[in-house]
Amino acid sequence: MNEILTIILVLIVAPIIGCLASGVDRKITARLQGRVGPPLLQPYYDVKKLLSKDNMVVNSSQNFYVIVYLVFIILSLFMLVFKQDFLMIIFVYTVASVALIVGGMSTGSPYARVGSSREIMAILSYEPVLILYALAIYLLTGTFKLSALLDASSPLLMYTPLIFIAMIVVLNIKLKKSPFDYSTSHHGHQELVKGMTTEYGGPGFATIEIAHFYEYVFLTGLIFLFWASNPIIGVLLGIIAYLLIIVIDNITARVYWQWMLKLSWTVLLIISIVNIAFLYVSGVKLA
Amino acid sequence: MIENTVMLLIIVPLLFSLLFVALPKSLYKYLAWAFFIIGVVLSVSLVLGGTGVVSVEEPNFAMFENIVLVLEVVVILFILAISAKYKNWPTLGLGIISAALFAYTYANVPGAESASFNIDQLSQLMILIVNIVGTAIILFATGYMDQYEEHRHLNRQRIFYFTMSFFLAAMNGLVMSDTLGWLYLFWELTTLCSFVLISYNMDEEGINNGFRALALNLVGGVAMSVGIILLATKYDISSLTGIATYAGTDAVALAALALPVALLCIGGFAKSAQMPFHSWLLGAMVAPTPVSALLHSSTMVNAGVFLIVKLVPAFANTSLGTAIAVYGSFTFVICSALALSQRNAKRVLAYSTIANLGLIIASAGIGTPLAVAASMMLILFHAISKGLLFLCTGEIEHTIGSRDIEDMSGLINKAPLLTSIAALGMVSMLLPPFGVLLTKWVSMEAASNNPVVIVFLVLGSALTTVYYSKWLGTILSSSMDKNAVPHKKLETYFPLSVLGLSIIGTSIFIFSIYDYLIKPQVAILLGNAPNVTGQAGQFASEIGAFTYAAIFAVLALAILIYLATKNMFTPRMSSYYMCGENNLERDRLMFRNGLCSYEKSSVSNIYLQNIFGESKLTTFGYAISIILIVIALAGGVGL
Repeated sequence: MNEILTIILVLIVAPIIGCLASGVDRKITARLQGRVGPPLLQPYYDVKKLLSKDNMVVNSSQNFYVIVYLVFIILSLFMLVFKQDFLMIIFVYTVASVALIVGGMSTGSPYARVGSSREIMAILSYEPVLILYALAIYLLTGTFKLSALLDASSPLLMYTPLIFIAMIVVLNIKLKKSPFDYSTSHHGHQELVKGMTTEYGGPGFATIEIAHFYEYVFLTGLIFLFWASNPIIGVLLGIIAYLLIIVIDNITARVYWQWMLKLSWTVLLIISIVNIAFLYVSGVKLA
Repeated sequence: MIENTVMLLIIVPLLFSLLFVALPKSLYKYLAWAFFIIGVVLSVSLVLGGTGVVSVEEPNFAMFENIVLVLEVVVILFILAISAKYKNWPTLGLGIISAALFAYTYANVPGAESASFNIDQLSQLMILIVNIVGTAIILFATGYMDQYEEHRHLNRQRIFYFTMSFFLAAMNGLVMSDTLGWLYLFWELTTLCSFVLISYNMDEEGINNGFRALALNLVGGVAMSVGIILLATKYDISSLTGIATYAGTDAVALAALALPVALLCIGGFAKSAQMPFHSWLLGAMVAPTPVSALLHSSTMVNAGVFLIVKLVPAFANTSLGTAIAVYGSFTFVICSALALSQRNAKRVLAYSTIANLGLIIASAGIGTPLAVAASMMLILFHAISKGLLFLCTGEIEHTIGSRDIEDMSGLINKAPLLTSIAALGMVSMLLPPFGVLLTKWVSMEAASNNPVVIVFLVLGSALTTVYYSKWLGTILSSSMDKNAVPHKKLETYFPLSVLGLSIIGTSIFIFSIYDYLIKPQVAILLGNAPNVTGQAGQFASEIGAFTYAAIFAVLALAILIYLATKNMFTPRMSSYYMCGENNLERDRLMFRNGLCSYEKSSVSNIYLQNIFGESKLTTFGYAISIILIVIALAGGVGL
């Protein structure tokens, strides 16, 4: 019974939080650029408007991939809430990412294909870091199940500062923020030509936006885990990380995907592996 | 009962190979159907018949042993003759070494009084793969070979089907025999079959690649026969179960076996095309696609990993095991990187095969019950998915006339059914809830205690995601030109559907398969079964849990939502956005360029040739893998 209640709560509350987070993002971005900015609920109005539009598609199956994207984001969020196996959560989350990529490519549009190709490179950049994060959790608790992490009394961050730094960058990549927003843009920064999602409009695009709301919550949830032993600090950590990403987004310019790949496979991987090596050698366990 | 099935599994494919020679080409289709049905029935009845040992004792033994001896002489003479005929000196040299080793064995190794076939769950698993996937491939070939030969002006189908069926017989013998001498004979027979099949086109390229396969596998064969001689003369061991029993006595015995076992493993590495032996499998690409499918999924390469898994008791939790795990995971990561840089679909699949076999070897090397279970499950799932993907690639090539991934964009419009099946195969290689991903999850969890192995697995896994999702996206992308006509033959689409349904079926019933075939086998090999609890729909070990039923349910839900909402929001078709540069007067899909003429937009995937290209990584891979093999021969490392 309790579980059903949690499911319903997550289904309803997560998009609301995600929507507000997106609104905050636009508000802060506007202020940093010296504009007033849209109202806080603008993302909600956007979705509402999109849902009322015609369902224009270039391909009869492109919306299927969007639905797969949405339901697998929600599934990975549930698995996070229900403290499942973290390694498995990452793989389930990959389904969502691949679905969005294939959806972009399925349209056949050159812009969407460029965006999708670049997003595949983003997977190559962040997936190893995510799995090493899972490995760190295993080494500290003896299991990949998140329940052990929430039962521990000391925070994960104490032993994984380097992986935390790497995860901040991963968050940046996953939220497609500058300097790593190459997969959602091609020329200019027009909303019309938005990389992978170029060919989506109306209800299809609204679904992507809603999925993004869930994804915001899921990704900050990954940061929350670093201090899951004290939920309040954990949530604060998630919020701070999110605000930090918004600031980075506004003070950096887009880079080539090659640069991102180099950064990831050298700096991020090395600091993560150093952190993992420390955990192996010292043999510390989370009490 | 079980004796009869064992004999039939060897005799029936031989009989079919003779029938293919004797009967005219018009009947091949019916023969292949019969072969498929009999193969399925025989393999299933072997599995239902339970496990057991079939001994061949006197007086029959003397006859069989003589047949084996004669066949071995024939094999060696054939190798010598063919390499002399084509003046291939390295192969001739290896053939002479093999002959010398054979003579030495004959003179110095004490003769046995009996031999035995050991039907355990691993053999059953392999028999299922060989006789269902293998015969499905032969059935597919009847719909494929005519067009293939027409293009190349060949008429050698008699030899083709003879060798394919003979191959299955040899493979059946290989996975059932317990006696090392007999195992070695079947081993060499598969090498020979692969040579004949790879050089099928009889042009220079084909023959060169055939010889490369022959030579590299002979290197493995020589290592193996030295290992067998050492085992027989020093420890009086002549069977696989004998190795396990001897290794189980005490730590001294285990350490003593390290060298001969490492030599047998090198035979397995060569057969499974691991680095530095991998080039033969890439060379095998010149053969017709059914040959590639057979080699990659159900026969040749599986023999190598089969032997290594059988040898697990002799290296589990030793430094040799660690060396094997590091070696396998290194091959996994380097070949995944190489696959990323390939545009040729068959080469992508070849590298992917080598990488996945590396993962199997790594899992076996880790040697915990969970890891060994993962390696066996991966053999099964990899065989089905890879067989399907190869056959699909062959059919795609016949449909669009190219095996370049870039040319496959728009395939979903041209051949929807074929593309959907191929997409299923690709998804099953990298995403949950399908079997390959599940086993990857298990092996990652099992490898977590070995820092080097796990880092290699992590990197390889990310690279795998990249090269499959790139290809998946390409075949599913729609383009507006439709100029290919898929020919819908039953012999083509039936095997594809069988394999596609097998992927879904085995993934749904994975827990039953685990319970019936995998768990008891791990208990035989290691003495204790993996600590996996749960029931159908969920896997739970002491370090993690995986509710794959939930993922299936969500996938079904996604399909339902799509179908329900499909027409809810009045869909309207339009052409895609070209940034205002669409040419409105033509087909609206071309860009107008600076000279006011029209150009088709072309976007290609990213291949990272200058980072992961063959020219960059191959030498490095050779160096590291040879060092790792030398370490393994020296007894491994105490990580």
